[in-house]
Amino acid sequence: MDVFSQLADGFAVALTFQNLALALVGCFIGTIIGALPGLGPSNGVAILIPVAFTLGLPATPALILLTSVYYGAMYGGRISSILLNIPGDEPALMTTLDGYPMAKKGQAGEALALSGIASFVGAFFATWGLVFLAPQLVKVALLFGPAEYFALFTLAFATLGGIASQNQGKAVIATMIGLGIAMVGVDHQTGVPRMTFGNIHLYEGIDFLVAIVGLFAISEVLLFLEHKAGSAPSEANQKLARVTAPFWMLKKTAGTMGRSTIIGFLAGVLPGAGASLGSFVSYTIEKKISDKKGTFGTGDPRGVAAPEAGNNAAAGGALVPMLALGVPGSGTTAVLLAMLMALNITPGPLLFTQRPDVVWGLIAALFIGNIMLLCLNIPLVGLFVRVLRVPSKYLMPAVTMISFVGIYGISGSTFDLIMMIIFGVVGYVLRKLNIPTVPIILGILLGNEMETNLRRALEISNGDVNILWGSPLTIGIWILAIAGFVAPFVVGRFLRPKKDPTVAP
Amino acid sequence: MSDRVLGVACLLLSAFYIFMATQIQTSFITDYLGPKFFPILIASLLAIAAIFPIIKPDPDPDWPGIGRFVEIIFAVAVMVAYTYALPVVGFVLSTAITSGILSWRLGAKPIAAAIAGVSISVGIYVVFHLVLQLSLARGPWGF
Amino acid sequence: MKKIAALGAATIFAALSFTSSAFAYEPEQPECIAPANAGGGWDFTCRQIGKALYDLKTIASPMQVVNLAGGGGGVAYAEVVSKRNDDNDLIVAASSATTTRLAQGAFPGSTMDQVRWVGTIGADYGVIAVAKDSPINTLPELFEKVKENPRGVAFAGGSAVGGWDHLKVLIAAKAAGISDARAVKYIAFEGGGEAVTQLLGGHVQAFTGDISEAKGFVDSGDLKILAVLSEERLPGAEFDKFPTAKEQGIDAVGANWRGFYAPKGMSDDAYNYWVKAIKDTYASDEWKEIMANNGLMPLAKFGPDFEKFVADQISSTQQLSREIGLIK
Repeated sequence: MDVFSQLADGFAVALTFQNLALALVGCFIGTIIGALPGLGPSNGVAILIPVAFTLGLPATPALILLTSVYYGAMYGGRISSILLNIPGDEPALMTTLDGYPMAKKGQAGEALALSGIASFVGAFFATWGLVFLAPQLVKVALLFGPAEYFALFTLAFATLGGIASQNQGKAVIATMIGLGIAMVGVDHQTGVPRMTFGNIHLYEGIDFLVAIVGLFAISEVLLFLEHKAGSAPSEANQKLARVTAPFWMLKKTAGTMGRSTIIGFLAGVLPGAGASLGSFVSYTIEKKISDKKGTFGTGDPRGVAAPEAGNNAAAGGALVPMLALGVPGSGTTAVLLAMLMALNITPGPLLFTQRPDVVWGLIAALFIGNIMLLCLNIPLVGLFVRVLRVPSKYLMPAVTMISFVGIYGISGSTFDLIMMIIFGVVGYVLRKLNIPTVPIILGILLGNEMETNLRRALEISNGDVNILWGSPLTIGIWILAIAGFVAPFVVGRFLRPKKDPTVAP
Repeated sequence: MSDRVLGVACLLLSAFYIFMATQIQTSFITDYLGPKFFPILIASLLAIAAIFPIIKPDPDPDWPGIGRFVEIIFAVAVMVAYTYALPVVGFVLSTAITSGILSWRLGAKPIAAAIAGVSISVGIYVVFHLVLQLSLARGPWGF
Repeated sequence: MKKIAALGAATIFAALSFTSSAFAYEPEQPECIAPANAGGGWDFTCRQIGKALYDLKTIASPMQVVNLAGGGGGVAYAEVVSKRNDDNDLIVAASSATTTRLAQGAFPGSTMDQVRWVGTIGADYGVIAVAKDSPINTLPELFEKVKENPRGVAFAGGSAVGGWDHLKVLIAAKAAGISDARAVKYIAFEGGGEAVTQLLGGHVQAFTGDISEAKGFVDSGDLKILAVLSEERLPGAEFDKFPTAKEQGIDAVGANWRGFYAPKGMSDDAYNYWVKAIKDTYASDEWKEIMANNGLMPLAKFGPDFEKFVADQISSTQQLSREIGLIK
């Protein structure tokens, strides 16, 4: 294979002073956009497209700028997850689960450095996956029909029990609320509106960003107000000795990063699954595999490494179907796809042979962006942590206002802002009641895909439910789903008798 | 007790949701499952899950006292007012006032809060509107 | 650092150019809503015309393209009517799919006179295709299969049930002697790209869509076009190899025009500006090249002319839908 010579050509295209400067600017802007609640990678890229045009950039530099923003935002999302317990964007959702507890223990610096390295590992190896496996992986993606997708989404929900360890019933309630919210809007299969109360604003459904910002950011402000905790510096501010990850932590999480990279990459390759599913499944599977002592959710470094490696690997994986099939695997790749089309480049099966300069230039850009982000992120940890030194009475109003801007700047909709405030109040009540908010978001994110694919599958099979387990692939996924659902109970039963005597002798 | 109220609220929500689902009008050609099946399934599962907190409630959380409660309601009211003021008054002024009030209620001295409000508002305006070119609400004075 | 300075300069420049052109209408932040996900036909319409307008310096700042998917375009339609009614800077991509749904009352409470129709930028002809390894080679063979076992052939398309991709295959089926619309099994996907992918994966048996959606996969040899739903073979060496449905004895034509509508409350100045902008772009050499590359065929209707064309199409679609039994 002449992969390496082609890659070298790609680097020859990408490695100019101007392109490196663009990559640096893109990485920096992307990191900031990713860290801001409400603005994620897809908005970041969408915002920068007009800028790229204004600067009159040709195809390759424009792509370098935008992919840097894309990856920068994927890196940046973790920052507010860890420091403020507010996910900067939807793929960083899972990082709140262990990242914020780590920050509370005074390990914000370690968490940020570790997650930066995990992000790099995920993204870096996913890019190699893109280089070597793209053609084969396209064939795998084609195996996924409606029945397989339905099984896959069911698998995702079956492993949900892995998230909320304390009260499974409440996790189920949260999931159902999320799924119920997902149903709102015009039904894609028949075109009839559902649960919209005739309100035209609800026809498009409820944007998950509105829900995330409301449930996490606004409710956080309300909790601060309740405790009048504004004068005290943020809880996570006690001792911030380190700004790098100690070596033992890297060693301990190396396996986690490896597994999560593979899982995340595969999730990214499937169109319609994307980075959120990648980080979600990485986290739950890692918890199943390695959480022997029940430390996940209380600030376990592996719980930070898994979703970050997973979602960044998924970001690389999502480029496979976008480039090779012209089918975007996530919201962000949809925007990148649009960008390519605006540059008169039509992704599809012939892109690799017809426009190798674009493909290999893009891949080189990914490598450059990733290395740059690693170099940028590790020294900046010290700066990010300083955010925590800002007293909450100034920090929280700023976070609130940025949340409003994140929603309003994208949609321009007053209705969305009101929805966000409602989600904030609901989120406050749910958090008081100890109901996890993460499953609500997952329900909103994945609910429609799950339903639509079930309905498509049954339509294809003329109502015969056997199609749902009619292929070897579906059977494999179902076995995993059942194992994932049953495992917590079985494992729990085996472990408890051993634990109990030591707890209460 | 709080969990029991939650459980009952979820049961009511689920009943309402099922009712709403039956009201969905189906169009001329529909698929095998139709648009009603999934909402009803979800609501049913919600109802089943809602039984758990009713049977086995967790201990009550510390609900805020009346004073704190009023504080939260006030903050929500300020945010709602902000939402409606935004397109009318423009971004910079409404944001400065709102973030100032929030900062004050979180314990800053009035003057510090006012300074914080203006800085937050102008800072966001510069970063998002001038650099990133997002369209923020434009008031009568253009900002 | 230079780039940051350039960024800042660009911003200031944009701000200045806006104040100086405040008198005659010129879009300040031109926006095009593509009522579908990125990658589909409407998205293509917005992106390409946006780029052409910008390259030809008709608009001063780049066209911002917003994807607003859902309800087969109904979500975007309702959004424009209810929320963006007096927006001068906005145009929305539309096509035969839009008028089809309007004709069938599938956008609840919406009618064609709630917006202003701007103009067309060409037409995309329907195709019916199968995977390269399918034993079926002609359109009559495919419909023979459908007649034998109506539930055995699943057609995948990018529009919702009852939408244009669905309707196209029904028109052809009717011409081939299949009168019951329910005998044609149609599965709705999110856009033509996803539908093709499902065909390549073997999950469905046939694809109904537009030639621009199928072309890349035909070139790569993954897709076999059974018929183009046009009056005669399409011009150009790349396209005239595809047989029409007509020459196979199935008298079915499905031309999907692509164009734009704009908010009703838009000022007359703004409306005239957009009509002229689209018309000029359509006539440009650059656009002719884009049309040729993408299998778009000529169709030129602008302003009031286009309004009438849309009205005619809606009434004929209504008649057709009644005949097929889609509406009462």
